Amino acid sequence: MNKEEHYLQMREAIVEGDGAGAGRLAGEAVKAGLDLLEVIEKGYVPGIQRVGELWEQGEYFLPELISSAEAMKAAMAVLEPELQRSRLQARTGGKVVIGTIEGDIHDIGKNLVSSMLQAGGFEVFDLGADVKLERFIEKAEAVGADFICLSALLTTTMVNQKRLVGLLKERNLRNRYKVLVGGAPASQKWADEAGADGYAENAVAAVKLAKSLAPKR
Amino acid sequence: MSRSIMDLIRQRTVLLDGAMGTELMARGLPQGKFPEEWNIERPDVVQEIHRNYFLAGSDMVSTNSFGASRIKLAHHGLEGRTAELNGTAARLAREVAPPGKFVAGSIGPTGKLLKPLGEFTEEEFESVFAEQAGALADGAVDVLLIETQYDLREALSALRGARRAASSLPVFVTMTFSANPRGYFTSMGDTVARCLKELEKEGARAVGANCTLNSEQMTGLVKAMRQETILPLIAQANAGQPVVGSDGRVGYSQGLEDYVRFVPELIRAGANIVGGCCGTDPAFIKAMAESISRRTA
Repeated sequence: MNKEEHYLQMREAIVEGDGAGAGRLAGEAVKAGLDLLEVIEKGYVPGIQRVGELWEQGEYFLPELISSAEAMKAAMAVLEPELQRSRLQARTGGKVVIGTIEGDIHDIGKNLVSSMLQAGGFEVFDLGADVKLERFIEKAEAVGADFICLSALLTTTMVNQKRLVGLLKERNLRNRYKVLVGGAPASQKWADEAGADGYAENAVAAVKLAKSLAPKR
Repeated sequence: MSRSIMDLIRQRTVLLDGAMGTELMARGLPQGKFPEEWNIERPDVVQEIHRNYFLAGSDMVSTNSFGASRIKLAHHGLEGRTAELNGTAARLAREVAPPGKFVAGSIGPTGKLLKPLGEFTEEEFESVFAEQAGALADGAVDVLLIETQYDLREALSALRGARRAASSLPVFVTMTFSANPRGYFTSMGDTVARCLKELEKEGARAVGANCTLNSEQMTGLVKAMRQETILPLIAQANAGQPVVGSDGRVGYSQGLEDYVRFVPELIRAGANIVGGCCGTDPAFIKAMAESISRRTA
């Protein structure tokens, strides 16, 4: 199999959400001594981009997004240790600390955004659901995050997103992070009101938004 | 024998209630407090809300039990009180329901995903929902209302569980759909046609949609649903999107007048049972009642 065919199969494995296939192809690429950074950029990344398009066209839904993001993880799990061994690093979009805000236990949407960001090349620190405001800041400081991403499903809890922005301001940390908000009740208007840097309606849009705001390296 | 809810649906448009959570918040439900706990701690408040909806013209109100499945309660360490919280929710509404008015036992989604995406099996969901439905039935609800479902497989599990636990009660199911370039779908990608067909086959006595869409968007969805079933159709739209005022209070983007303007169209499109969802309150229900009675007058 030539390199181009190999890349095409990688792309297909991601589009089909075939985690086993994506991992196997990654292993073959390692064995064949391919340029692993190129493998990611030309094999897997076009797959996850296609998944985003299919979602936007209304062909793909939550189950497909989740399987494709999982397939991407399976591939990266094989590639990353190899990259580290040769002291290389996959291009990263930045570090993201993400969680569902204090008081809110809903995590389906947050998990999806978390997976899609990871599949989209971000280094993601997922704090789970019902995350105390303090904990977001601690983690962001500890890992040197670029983004803090906040989810909320309820009208009753979304106000805590704004409180987090306030807390960052109080500590003179506001400019250190891009704060992105999402969840059923959120909107661009809400993001503005809360003093956040951005809002995305869904997981695919969230990846695009984060990429547009990512630090230039 | 008194008139049943199914009789009433055959005779005229039936009016449900509006939102519960925001009404509780307006009466001081603290941040982080699980709304169903107020069934025990502040029964007076819960009953006042039900009473206001009946006064506004609701034929049937929904119990304060949307999140009271064992799976959700477990997040708050309340899973041991599933029967108590649901049974009390039912009794509170029953006590204030005037003669000839009805009580629907509200059952919301678990918030978790089924295998292979999540950890739960359909059998597990079914028994969790059966437990909740059984407790609501013990509290003497007239109907079980499985609401805001985004996964047909979960909705069917709930429907099976509810019918198993309360075989004498009619079960209604509403799903939440959004519009994409190819039509209306649940988040899991279930179509309107497939949802309604499967729910009907599994024994739902009324089906429909709630949440996500505003009342204008809901009319389009009701038209699409009417083509797929002869069952009574339920429509409970949101009052648009939440917006936060300068005072920090949460309001909704679609005002009362605009919301109610589409009620006649919802009914023309084929809705038999209408009510509110997020962002609606007794004032919305009162205006809807007036709109419906003008229509039939």
